[in-house]
Amino acid sequence: MIEINSVTKRFGRAAAVERVNLRVDPGEGVALWGSNGAGKTTLIRCVLGLLPFEGTIRVGGFDVATRGKQARSLIGYVPQELGFYDDLRVGQAVRFFGSLKGLSIRDADGVLEPVGLLGHDGKRVRELSGGMKQRLALAIALLGDPPVLVLDEVTASLDACGRQEFVSLLERLAHSSRSLLFASHRVEEVGSLAKRVVLMEKGRVTDECPPDALVSRLGAANVLHLHLPVADRPRAIDLLRGSGFSPRLNGVGILVPVPPAQKAGPLRILTEAKISIEDFELLNASNTPRHDSEDRS
Amino acid sequence: MITLAVQHAPPRVNTMWRSTGILALRELREAIASRWFLLYTIAFVALGLGVSYVSAAGTGSLGLSGFGRTTAGLINLVLLVVPLMALTAGAGTIASDRERGMLPYLLAQPINRFELLLGKFVGLSLALLACICLGLGGCAAILAWKGETTDPASLVWLAGLSFGLAVCMLSVGMLVSVLARKASVAVGTAVFLWLVLVFVTDLGLMAGALAFRLKIETLFFLCLGNPLQVFKMWTLHEAEASLDVLGPAGLYASDTYGGGLRWMFAGAMAAWTVLPLAAAGILFSRRSPV
Amino acid sequence: MRRLNAITAVSLLAAASAFGQAAGTIGRRIADARPGDTVVVPAGVHREHLRIDKPLKLVGEPGAILDGGQSGDIIDVTAPDVEIRGLTIRATGIDLDKENAAVRVSAARVRIEDNVFEDVLFGIDLKEAPDAIIRGNRIGGKDLDIARRGDGLRLWRSNAALIENNVIHDGRDAILWYSTGVVVRNNRSFRCRYGLHLMYSDSVTIEDNELSENSVGVYFMYSKDLTLRRNRLIRNRGPSGYGVGLKDTDSYRVEHNLFVGNRAGIYLDDSPFTHATRGEIRANTFGYNDVGVIFLPSARGNVVSGNNFIDNLEQVSVQGRGELRDTEFAANDRGNFWSDYVGYDLDNNGVGEFEHESQRLFENLLDREPKLRLLLFSPAQQAVEFVGRALPAIRPEPKFFDPAPLVRPVSEAGAPRNQAASAWGLALAGVGMLGVGAGVLALAVPIRIRHAAGASLAATATGGVS
Repeated sequence: MIEINSVTKRFGRAAAVERVNLRVDPGEGVALWGSNGAGKTTLIRCVLGLLPFEGTIRVGGFDVATRGKQARSLIGYVPQELGFYDDLRVGQAVRFFGSLKGLSIRDADGVLEPVGLLGHDGKRVRELSGGMKQRLALAIALLGDPPVLVLDEVTASLDACGRQEFVSLLERLAHSSRSLLFASHRVEEVGSLAKRVVLMEKGRVTDECPPDALVSRLGAANVLHLHLPVADRPRAIDLLRGSGFSPRLNGVGILVPVPPAQKAGPLRILTEAKISIEDFELLNASNTPRHDSEDRS
Repeated sequence: MITLAVQHAPPRVNTMWRSTGILALRELREAIASRWFLLYTIAFVALGLGVSYVSAAGTGSLGLSGFGRTTAGLINLVLLVVPLMALTAGAGTIASDRERGMLPYLLAQPINRFELLLGKFVGLSLALLACICLGLGGCAAILAWKGETTDPASLVWLAGLSFGLAVCMLSVGMLVSVLARKASVAVGTAVFLWLVLVFVTDLGLMAGALAFRLKIETLFFLCLGNPLQVFKMWTLHEAEASLDVLGPAGLYASDTYGGGLRWMFAGAMAAWTVLPLAAAGILFSRRSPV
Repeated sequence: MRRLNAITAVSLLAAASAFGQAAGTIGRRIADARPGDTVVVPAGVHREHLRIDKPLKLVGEPGAILDGGQSGDIIDVTAPDVEIRGLTIRATGIDLDKENAAVRVSAARVRIEDNVFEDVLFGIDLKEAPDAIIRGNRIGGKDLDIARRGDGLRLWRSNAALIENNVIHDGRDAILWYSTGVVVRNNRSFRCRYGLHLMYSDSVTIEDNELSENSVGVYFMYSKDLTLRRNRLIRNRGPSGYGVGLKDTDSYRVEHNLFVGNRAGIYLDDSPFTHATRGEIRANTFGYNDVGVIFLPSARGNVVSGNNFIDNLEQVSVQGRGELRDTEFAANDRGNFWSDYVGYDLDNNGVGEFEHESQRLFENLLDREPKLRLLLFSPAQQAVEFVGRALPAIRPEPKFFDPAPLVRPVSEAGAPRNQAASAWGLALAGVGMLGVGAGVLALAVPIRIRHAAGASLAATATGGVS
C-alpha cells in the first residue's frame, strides 16, 4: 500500500532521512521506532507529501510527489497534536474536512460515533480536552474510510489515562484491512498495533523485528527505583522475586528492572503487602531513547 | 464496531475548483469571525460615514455638491485603510497557520498547495469585498439621506476599484506571508510595505520630480507603478471622464491615451494581483510548511 | 485687428454670392411682399436660401422647416426691422472660410425669436446690426471637431443687442466683437468652446445665465465696464479652461455668481488693466473647483470680499513668478468665508478673530510645479501638509491673507442654488452595495444542520462504516 524507495531528505547538508526503503502491505501495521531526531516524523511528512525529497514514495500506486492529492486521499492522518481553527465546532470541523475529502455532510457526521464524540459536535475545538482532540483528529482521519492510516506520535501529548484509552480505540478501529504506518516510542502501542517494527536511528533504518522481539529487547530498559524503609527491604525483595522480578539492593532503596507493560507491577505488589513506599522513580538504565513524556508518568 | 471493506474504491478527489471553493468558504468564515475583520469594518464604516457626513453637512445650506470633498475624502480613506487591511490580512493568513502548526495538517488532506493558496486568496477577497461594500454602501446611504448629489455611478466605481486595490494588496500580503516564518514578522513587514506604498514612494516621487525635473510622461508612468496611484487615477478617470483635475500630467494622460487609460490601469492592477500571487504560489510549493 | 477685419469682409462677399440661385416658394412670397407684411412659412420642409431686403416678418407655422441642404447660408437679412420667428432652420454649409450661417444680419433692429437652429455652422451672425433682439432661440452646432465648428452666435460691431433666453450648444463660441451695451440674460450654453467671449466689448451686462461644460464659461478680453452677476458657471474644464477668465479687462463687477467644478473659478490675468480702476469680485460662491481663483502676479487691484470658498482643491492660487500685490480680501472689515478657516468667532460678529492665510506647503509646491498635481488626493499630500504645519522652518510664506474671514458661509438671496439632483440613484447604489456586503456575510454563516437528524441519517447512510 505504501512503497518507500530509497528516500533521502536533507535539511541543508544534514540528512534527516537517508536511503530508506520500506513497504507497507494492505492491512499491515508498521511501527517506526526510534528516538526523537531519528527521522520518523520527517519520513511521515515525506509520505504525506509535505516535504520534497529524493527517491520515490507511492501510496496505493500514486506517486506522492506528482500525484500528491490522490495519494493523500488514501491516507487518514493523525498528528501528534491537532492544531487548527480553535473556534470551529466539532461538527463543523468534521464537515469541513469531510468536504475536503469529497464527502457529503451526512457521510461526514457519521464518523463521530465510533470515536465516542457523538453529542459533542456543538463544542468548540478549543474546549476539548487533549484526549478528545486526538479522538477528533482520528475521526477526521477516518473520514472517507481511507485504506491507510498514518499516525505520528499520536499519544505523545496525552496523559497515561488518555493514552491508554486512545490506544484501545485505535486497536478497535485498526484491526482490519487498513494499512497502518505510525511513529511511536511506546512499547505498549507498538505491541498492540504493529505487526512489524522498523527501527530508525539517525535517519536510517537500522533493523526490523516483530513487536514481541522489541519488547524483549527493550524489556530491561526501565528500572524502577523504590525508596523503602530499611526494615521492609528484605521482605520486599523476596516478594518481588516471587512475582518474577529481579530486584537489587542499593544504598537508598531497591532497583527493579521492569518490562514496559508492567512498570506499576512492583508498586502494586508492595502496596498489597502493606509495605509503605516512601518514594519511587523510573530510570532509564540503558542507552535507550530519552523519553520526555515517559519521565512525567 | 467497525468493519471495513476489503476492496477500496479508487480515490475520490475533489476538483481544483471544489477544493478551492471549500477552502475559500472556510477562510471567509474564519476572517469574518476574527477580530481584524470586525475592527477594520467598524473603522472603515465609521470613517466613511464621518467623511460623508462632514462633507454633506458643510455645504448643505448652499445646496452645493460636487466631486469635491466627498469623493476626495473617500479616495483618501480608501488609500489609507484598504491597503493596510488587505496587506495585513494577506500577511497574517499563511504565516499564522504555519505558526499554529495548522499548515502541515491542512496540507496532509487531499488538497494541493495551490488550492490552499487560491482558496485563502478568494476567501479573504470576499471578506474584503464585504468590508468595502458595507463601508461605502453606508456612505452612499448617508449621502443619499443628506440629499447629496454625488454621482452614484462614480461611487460604485469607487467601490469596485477599492476592491481591485484590495485584491492587489492581498496578493502582495500573501507573498509576504509565504516568505515569513512568524506571523508577527509577516504582519510587521506588511505594515512596513503599507508605509512604503502609501507615503514613501509618493514622497520620493515628489522629491524626484523636483530634483530631476522629471517630464510629465515620466511622472505618469512612474505613478502607474504604484497600485495606490493607479487606483486613484482610475477612480478619477471614471468619476470625472478626464484626469485634468490632476494637472498637466493627468491632462497628458487623458489626451494621449483617452479610453486606453482604462486598459492601462486594469493592466497595472492585474499585474499587481497576478505576479505576487504567482510568486507566492511558486515559493509556497517549494517551502516546507513546517 | 485690422487684418481680421479684412478677412471678415472678404468672406462676407463670398457668402453673398451663394444667393444667385432661383428663388423658391418662400423666396417668391418675400419678393412679392411689401414692407411691413408678414410672410408665413407653412409647415413642411422648405429647401430654400432666403434674402430679406425689406422690413417684414417671417413667421413659421408649427412644423415649418427651412433646410439649407448642407450648403451656404440660409437667411440673409439686409433690411432693418426684420422679424424672424417660429422657424426651424437647419443644415447650413460647413465652409468655415465662407462662414456659412443660418441667419446673417447686416441691418438694425432685427428680432430673431423662438426659432430652432439645428446642424448649423454659424447660428446667428450679426454684422453691424445694432439694437438686435435675439430671444428664445435654440442653437445647436454641427457634429464636427471643435476646430471645424462655427460660432453659435456672433456679434460684430452690433451695439445694444439684447440676447435673452437662448440655448446654445455644441458650437464653437458665442462671441461679441466691438459691441457695446449688450445685455446677455438668462441664456444657457453648454458643450461649446467659449460659452461667451467678449473682445473689445464694453458696458456689457451678463446676468442669470448658465454656462456649463464649456471649455471656458465667460472670457473677457480687452473690455471694460462689465457686470457679471447671478450666473451659474459649472464644470467648465477645458485644458486651459476657467469659469470666468479676465485678460486686460477693466472696471468689472463679478458678483453673486456660482462657480462649481470648474478647472478654475476665475482666472485673472493683468486685470484690472489700468490700475486706476478696481476689479470687484464679491458675494460669489466658489465650490469644488480645482482652483477657486487664479491670480497671475500681473493682476493687481482686485477686491475679493464676501465670497464663499468651499472645498476648492486649492482655494486661491498665485501662479507664475512673483507675488500677489495690491489685492484686498476684505471690504468694510468683512472678508470671505473659507471652508478651511480654522479660527473662531469670539465676539459673535460673524468675523473670525484671526486672519486667514494660506500657508500650505503642498499647495505651494503645486503652484511652482503644477505637474505634481498628479499626486493630489494621496495620503502623501497630507503628510507634506502636516510636515509644513509642524515645522515652521519650511513653512512657505503665505500667498495671501484675508484679514476678516467670515465664520459662516454667505447665503445671499441673489446667489443661485445648484439644482438638487435626485438622491434615489445614490440610495440605490448604497442599498446595492450594502446588499453585496450582507450577501457575502450570509455566505459565511455556517449552515446549521440539526445535529441529531444529521447523525442518525449518517449512521445508516455511511458507506463502509456500519
